[in-house]
Amino acid sequence: MSPTHPNTTIKLISASRFSYEQLTAIYNQTRVDYMVPMPMNAARLAEYVTTYDVSLDHSAVAATQDGEMLGVNMLGLREDRAWITRLGVIPNTRRSGVGQALMESLMEQAARLSIKFVMLEVIKNNTPAYQLFSKLGFYEVGELLVLRRSPSTKPVDPIVADAQRMDRTDSLVLVGRDRGTQPWTNQSESLTNAFEVSGLRLTLADGSRGWMVYQRQKFLLTRFAFKTEVGDPATVAYALLSHLHHQYPRLDTQIENIQINDPHLPAFYEMGYVESFRRIEMWHGTLPASLSVK
Amino acid sequence: MTKILLVEDIPDNVALVRKLLSGRDYEIIHAPDAETGLQMALDHIPDLILLDLGLPDYDGQTLAGWMRAESVLDATPIVAVTAWPEETAKKMVESYGFDGYICKPIIKVSEFIAQVESFLKTP
Repeated sequence: MSPTHPNTTIKLISASRFSYEQLTAIYNQTRVDYMVPMPMNAARLAEYVTTYDVSLDHSAVAATQDGEMLGVNMLGLREDRAWITRLGVIPNTRRSGVGQALMESLMEQAARLSIKFVMLEVIKNNTPAYQLFSKLGFYEVGELLVLRRSPSTKPVDPIVADAQRMDRTDSLVLVGRDRGTQPWTNQSESLTNAFEVSGLRLTLADGSRGWMVYQRQKFLLTRFAFKTEVGDPATVAYALLSHLHHQYPRLDTQIENIQINDPHLPAFYEMGYVESFRRIEMWHGTLPASLSVK
Repeated sequence: MTKILLVEDIPDNVALVRKLLSGRDYEIIHAPDAETGLQMALDHIPDLILLDLGLPDYDGQTLAGWMRAESVLDATPIVAVTAWPEETAKKMVESYGFDGYICKPIIKVSEFIAQVESFLKTP
């Protein structure tokens, strides 16, 4: 990583030179005034790095020449594609080129690895960030939803179906199948990297069938991947969710980055999910083979 | 003395709430994350819980769900303190069993104090 940026007041340092505690402290400081602050602790950041294939060697911390921390930006790497995430600049140092320096640094890292396709998401209505990404050549490809379902939501009876629980191995075989182009967080690698992954597969009386794979954390169901193989997606998804929430009635649920035009979406709303916030998905470059065929 | 549990990870926000509520008959106890917040709620059974939705271990919605599952906290109002847009805050409050919400940033001191008092008076 280049020790200095053309803006000579900003020094860019590889994130791998910092501990998770230090990175967490910097990241949290960048988010204190966000509408959706999403602070982390060191354990959560470490899990995030592992799950999403973030390379700290290729990620950057921005500092002044005197060592004052200014911001952070992280780069995920998978085959022929990259992902920019956790970009943040400490509030009182914004509008001084730190965000752009961090972005250009990571784009340069990707280019050095011959990666020509970069993805990212930006929280909807974060206009300064959106404008920065647009200026750097990112283009909008769609809107993503973050949904929550409280464990106190009225329980539903499971829909009558031939339902089969799947272990991790069988579940990961399914998530590798074609689900269209997914945001980085929902790609098959994210579930392969995650702990406590299992799934559910069912067939309804009319022959409709599909599957759902998820991560079960201590208090939370999250990281959903799903597919309808035959039949109406909303009907199949409702049946899958009815079995899932019947199985785990006390767990909170958070699912990230469902595409707004996903045909399964009505089932989530019917099951009591509420929208937390939206993100805009943006790409740079053309879709690589590794995503086109999955 | 009325006991208020503040679950908030940002020290400046903790200092602000302490300052705004100082000089009144309130004892402010503080937890910086969700797991500590739950433990302190169970240990102290406060009269009011002010809960930031963005916490570093589990978020405020998840914590509210745990608290609402504890019958010893049935009489304790849980209030979300959030910068969410009002429409989103309303949905989360309704869905997760909060008793209400206070919008961040806290700008009007008198309004904030009146909100805290109103939640304490709610039967």
